[in-house]
Amino acid sequence: MSAVAPSASSARLRLDRVAWMLLPAAPFVAVLAAWAAYWQIVRPPAATLPSILAVVQVVGDIAGDGRLGANVLASLWRLLLGASLGILTGVVAGFATGLYRGISEFLSPLVIFFNAISGIVWLPLMIGWLGIGTALAVFVIWNTVFFIVFQNTVLGVQLVPEVLEQGVRALGAGRFETLRSVTLPGALPYILSGIRSGLGFGWRALIAAELVGAPSGLGQMIFAAGDYHRSDIIIAGCLIIGVIAIAMDRWILYPIEQRTVQRWGLITDAEKEGV
Amino acid sequence: MSTALAPSRAAPLAAPAGFLRMFSGFRVLLPFAALVVLWWTIKIAAGISDEVLVSPATAFAAFVRLVDTGVLAEYAGTSLRMIGACAVFSLAVGVPIGFAVGVNRYAARSCEGFLRFLQGVSGIAWLPLVIIWLGLSYKTTLAVVIYTLIVPIVFNTMIGVRTIPENYVLALRSLGAGRLRLATDVYLPGALPSIVVGLRLGMGYGWRALIAAEMLVHSGGLGDLIFSARTFNQIDRIIVGMIVIGCLYIIVDRLIVQPIENLTIARWGVLRK
Repeated sequence: MSAVAPSASSARLRLDRVAWMLLPAAPFVAVLAAWAAYWQIVRPPAATLPSILAVVQVVGDIAGDGRLGANVLASLWRLLLGASLGILTGVVAGFATGLYRGISEFLSPLVIFFNAISGIVWLPLMIGWLGIGTALAVFVIWNTVFFIVFQNTVLGVQLVPEVLEQGVRALGAGRFETLRSVTLPGALPYILSGIRSGLGFGWRALIAAELVGAPSGLGQMIFAAGDYHRSDIIIAGCLIIGVIAIAMDRWILYPIEQRTVQRWGLITDAEKEGV
Repeated sequence: MSTALAPSRAAPLAAPAGFLRMFSGFRVLLPFAALVVLWWTIKIAAGISDEVLVSPATAFAAFVRLVDTGVLAEYAGTSLRMIGACAVFSLAVGVPIGFAVGVNRYAARSCEGFLRFLQGVSGIAWLPLVIIWLGLSYKTTLAVVIYTLIVPIVFNTMIGVRTIPENYVLALRSLGAGRLRLATDVYLPGALPSIVVGLRLGMGYGWRALIAAEMLVHSGGLGDLIFSARTFNQIDRIIVGMIVIGCLYIIVDRLIVQPIENLTIARWGVLRK
């Protein structure tokens, strides 16, 4: 009896752990099951709702003939260009502005206004100026990322306690050395959380921009599929867009942010939760 | 020197409040005045044609015309009603869902990844499919914006409920509180700051999704206004539309979302960035 009890409870414990591990899959399974059941019972036309199998097949098809790869690469390339430009200019301008209170106060109404119209609102004007293509998408991403990174950098720079800067200066550090060893690390957590949310907005803006005006890319792929009522391609495209967004956040941005937080330990609870 | 400085420093303090407000309003408008001057200078100095960039005066004339004919009010009204309806609906439905998911740790664990995934697929990506389902109508826009708004609200409500220390719940329970009492006295106040964070993020995403959807659905709204103006190359209309979009968003954010946030922080004292 006494030998059975622990083994039974440990078996239950193991079962609990397995169930715990499997839980995140539950909603996905539920949605797929509902989809399959609905499709079996109602048999909607393929243009309205394709079967799960059709979507899986179409992923294989477009991956096989290279369309998927080309479109994913086109979108990622634009994101890389636009986001690096946005981060670079945002951080540099943010530092220049954050260090001088007068300039940042003068600029802040402009920044608030242009942040409110950042991204796709520029599309109609920019289609005329830049034409349809990579330049347009890159502009839209730059525009989106810049203002978020800029605002966060200014905030980060201004929140570095002045006493730290003065301390390093008193020990004989020059202006550049102070910037490098105090201001930059102090502002880095804010800059990184700005980059993280900037990329979230940027990826959305890119998809929207590609829907409206681009010769290639994931957004264009699903938009063109809409014209032919190919809902299998649309659903496949949406799933891929989601997977890429999550992969970027989980494996690139989150680890970088965490490492910085651990090293410099300056972050609010809201950001810790990955909100 | 110091005697000369002292009175001038004291002067603004003694000035009436109206003057101070005028001065701060001037400070806000000054950068925009500088921008308009820059815009006008570039327009004249580079000799840019009206096909590419109109002058501020032409844009203002277009603004007056759009207001006079009532076009602007109608398009802006459509957009504002849309975002308002979506925000109210998303809060009314999203917060209870977030509570239901958040109170149970198994439910929370199972939904977290799913919600993250939904947030990764931006609402606007579903637009082509929703157009097939609901047609080119306001219903399509509504569906896309609600999707965009509700996901961050559910997610953040859930996170908010999860971060409430369990002791508060246990304490109230041991004093005999029922489920309803727990919801109103522990979960709601505890999760409110997080809900507001979700609302703010959702409004940021949602407003942009609304404009993008209006551009493609063509059934009214400011996005439709500026995108249709593109077809006829009416740069003046595009610029007026952009300025109105920016101003409306700032007004919505400052007048509605931020006061709620300030109220929450002031009342429950959970400070977030």
